[in-house]
Amino acid sequence: MALFEGGPCLTADTNFDVLMVKLKSHFQNAKGHKVECRGSRYRYCDFLIKVGTVTMSSSARGISAEVEYCPCVVPGDCWNLMREFIQSFLGNNVPELPTVFAAKPEGLFAPADCVDTMTQYLELFNKLRKLQIPGSNVR
Amino acid sequence: MEAPPVTVMPITSGTINMMEYLLQGSVLDSALESLLHRLRGLCDNMEPETFTDHELVFLLKGQQGNPFILRARRSLSHPTAPWHLRYLGQPEVGDKSRHALVRNCVDVAASHSLPDFLNEMGFRMDHEFVTSGHIFRKGAMKVVVCNVSRVLVPGNTENTERMSLSHLVELSVLAPAGQDTVSEDMRSFAEQLKPLIHLEKIDPSKQRH
Repeated sequence: MALFEGGPCLTADTNFDVLMVKLKSHFQNAKGHKVECRGSRYRYCDFLIKVGTVTMSSSARGISAEVEYCPCVVPGDCWNLMREFIQSFLGNNVPELPTVFAAKPEGLFAPADCVDTMTQYLELFNKLRKLQIPGSNVR
Repeated sequence: MEAPPVTVMPITSGTINMMEYLLQGSVLDSALESLLHRLRGLCDNMEPETFTDHELVFLLKGQQGNPFILRARRSLSHPTAPWHLRYLGQPEVGDKSRHALVRNCVDVAASHSLPDFLNEMGFRMDHEFVTSGHIFRKGAMKVVVCNVSRVLVPGNTENTERMSLSHLVELSVLAPAGQDTVSEDMRSFAEQLKPLIHLEKIDPSKQRH
């Protein structure tokens, strides 16, 4: 999945990475800007939870948690249930309904499409990028 | 806490470099039926497959001389099928006695937002065309017999005009790098199609405007 912020989103197969390598000479590699998120995937009844560590240039920047409620495709209808579930392990740090869904009140979440998920990850990465790590400049 | 190691471009190792071996020729429309008849006999026994495709060629002009070319192809007969993005590298120069044109080939299946995405990346559409014809297979070899039509109004595939009164014939094989027997097999197959059609190795550099 490839995404431009605010622009078109592309879904392609794994050979797309090979193509990107070939394009290296035409684009400047944004070395300082690579953000990676790795972690484990859990399943609890109807919920899918992915917990990962977000790293930027080999330094940890934060932790990401993705929760998917599988049986329902209308975000507005199951948001309260998801909030309760997230509260059970995140305490009071429960986020608001993500902006991608707020923008389309009648919209359906399409898991196969992944655009909404990718947009949320992009927003999270941007937020973490702007965050200053306390003490990072101290020798 | 210790950060897990950040992976470094995992795709540089482990992917097989695929090469496309190609021979091309053309046949006048009047001889088309005889060629199709012969191909039906020579090739694998299967239902004759026809296709109608729309191909867009995108260029990315870089600072260096040669622009980066990508070919995006979609089926007009199966509109919901994914787009096919293809990159073809420079032809391998080397063995002059090698019978087919050999170039690096990367094929990617992509979603329908492909043209918009390529535009956003900086690619610009250079030209587009519609091809329709028949496809045959013999083992790993693929024979495509098609006519090429010019698109008169950009984006409108209904309004097309045949470019010539002949059909383009392409014999191709997609194989990992280093398999030299492939071009031998292609040459012997091409021999069987003579004198109906002469398939030969073409030089793409001579075709650029």
